[in-house]
Amino acid sequence: MSELKLEQRAVTVSSAEVKPPADKRPPGPWRTAWKKFVQNPFAVAGLIILAIFIIAAVCAKWISPYDPTRIDMMFPNLHAGTDGHPLGTDELGRDILSRLLYSSRISLTVGFLVAFVSVFIGTIVGAFAGYFGGWVDTIAMRFVDVMNSIPSLFLNILILAIFGSKISYMILVLAFTSWMGVARLVRGTYLQLREMQYVEAAKATGVSHFGIIFRHLLRNATAPIIVTATLMVGGAILSESALSYLGLGVQTPDTSWGLMLSNAQEFMLTDPLQALYPGVCILTVVLAVNFIGDGIRDGLDPRMTTIPRRRLAQWRKKFSKSEI
Amino acid sequence: MTEYLVRRLFQSVLVLFLISILTFAMIHAAPGGPTQVFLAPGLSPEAAKVQAHNLGLDRPVLVQYSIWLGHLVTGDLGYTFKNHIPVGDILWPTVKNTMVLMGAAWLFSLLIAIPWGIYNSTSQYGFSDQTSSFVSYIGFAMPTFWFGIILQEYFSLKHDWLPLSDMYTMGKEGNMGDLFMHLILPVSVLTLGFLASYTKYAKASMLEVLGQDYIRTARAKGLREGRVIFRHALRNALIPIITILGLDLPILVGGAALTERVFNWPGMGRLFVDMAVAREYSVLMSITLVVSVIVVVGNLVADILYAIVDPRVQLGSKGGAAR
Repeated sequence: MSELKLEQRAVTVSSAEVKPPADKRPPGPWRTAWKKFVQNPFAVAGLIILAIFIIAAVCAKWISPYDPTRIDMMFPNLHAGTDGHPLGTDELGRDILSRLLYSSRISLTVGFLVAFVSVFIGTIVGAFAGYFGGWVDTIAMRFVDVMNSIPSLFLNILILAIFGSKISYMILVLAFTSWMGVARLVRGTYLQLREMQYVEAAKATGVSHFGIIFRHLLRNATAPIIVTATLMVGGAILSESALSYLGLGVQTPDTSWGLMLSNAQEFMLTDPLQALYPGVCILTVVLAVNFIGDGIRDGLDPRMTTIPRRRLAQWRKKFSKSEI
Repeated sequence: MTEYLVRRLFQSVLVLFLISILTFAMIHAAPGGPTQVFLAPGLSPEAAKVQAHNLGLDRPVLVQYSIWLGHLVTGDLGYTFKNHIPVGDILWPTVKNTMVLMGAAWLFSLLIAIPWGIYNSTSQYGFSDQTSSFVSYIGFAMPTFWFGIILQEYFSLKHDWLPLSDMYTMGKEGNMGDLFMHLILPVSVLTLGFLASYTKYAKASMLEVLGQDYIRTARAKGLREGRVIFRHALRNALIPIITILGLDLPILVGGAALTERVFNWPGMGRLFVDMAVAREYSVLMSITLVVSVIVVVGNLVADILYAIVDPRVQLGSKGGAAR
């Protein structure tokens, strides 16, 4: 009787021992990154702010009080808060708040699409250059040198002046002049990764070059690519605003923060506050995106462990033996 | 050293050559081709043909390119479209003005950034260090031209302390004091942009040197901290900054272009934007090339300086310091 009990207990113990590994698997790298990201107050704040801007941009149609293109010459240059215009009107009587909301659509779209396209170009060029090496690498990197030697603002303006200013062109042009950083980064990663043993194994089992580049290696290069992609969004928004400010980006029926700034500069004397709003929007969004990018970078970097100050103080109290 | 110099020089010339091809190809890739770009609109087909023949646009592309390149090398940049003025005549004065603005901003930001970076490296995470990282976050996220507009509104429209725009007040051309007053606002705008990165680089470079053994030795000898930092560490910490200054040149030139536009500074960037709006392609091509020459030469000089200043640099291996 007692033997049977013992046996039963043994069984239950062993089953309990088998189970935990299924539940308590070590957290994956993405989960760890997310956990670290959430602990970073700046990154979370950035995420919230960006989310607010995205929601505002998506719902611009419903929440903006007026049509952003409606010209009302009866009430130009109204100050903030008059006659139902929360932020006033511009020199043509267009409602500034509505224009800001509609601008956020274009600025955010351009920012994200440019980052996406340039990461796409950069990854492909960098992957081929790094994986194959030799003359492919030489040609690609020489091309990167050439592109890096022309200040991108000048190249953007030149291309837009030749081909005409359209939003779709602008996205392509901005992407065309900003993929070099990604290409260098991906090439560097691939140069290291291609020496790995699993690449050798994949080759031995007959996996094609294409398969190795995009199935086996790309996964291992994702982390740095994501980080640069995020940080690129901010740069793209800034470039878009610069081009629109110069009159070569977004054209008048549409509106963007940069375009609003160039209007505001002409009418600085009548309403100085007009220049403030679009600039603050750009600054906030880019700051938010950069904070998110930094948060992702720190989260994905296993060497970066941020120890909260309070915990550090606790440890000091607990383990420090000095009497000072 | 000579071998490195020759190779580096060859590389630079090659890059410039490729840039000229790229610029040339872009005009040819324009919708309608160069005929559309260079001929006056509204010409009859026959007249357009004659014009195209006179301009040499009916010749093979390679011939056109080599003729263009030949003119470029001898300093002939072509003529403007509208008034048929030689491009060089309107371009070179603006290059000089841009150099004045860029040089001033560059010098000023280095004068602030290097001491600030050094100080931050000695007192990490202190108030000054936190301030500098705050400034750099703002500097990276703020549109420079917007900062310019805000400064204009405050300093020249609200309180008439500083001139609003341009390089000289009317009738005071060549007056140094007047130039200085006009420089203050644009230089502060540009400085904020550069300060962000230069202070960071200076601090990082200094921290790296301060972690080395010979610094510990110097401290162990009982040298005063000031002597360790300025005599032993600073010299080595300044070396990597040279390269970064070279690599940052494109950003510098681009930023100067926007600032010039905001403050109506008669420089290359403003000319470029005006000419882009007016579709003056020969001027645009020339400015793109001049700017690229500035950047390539700047990088070359930085690399050579780096090799001269730092004897530890192993020339020849791994493609030299230029990567």
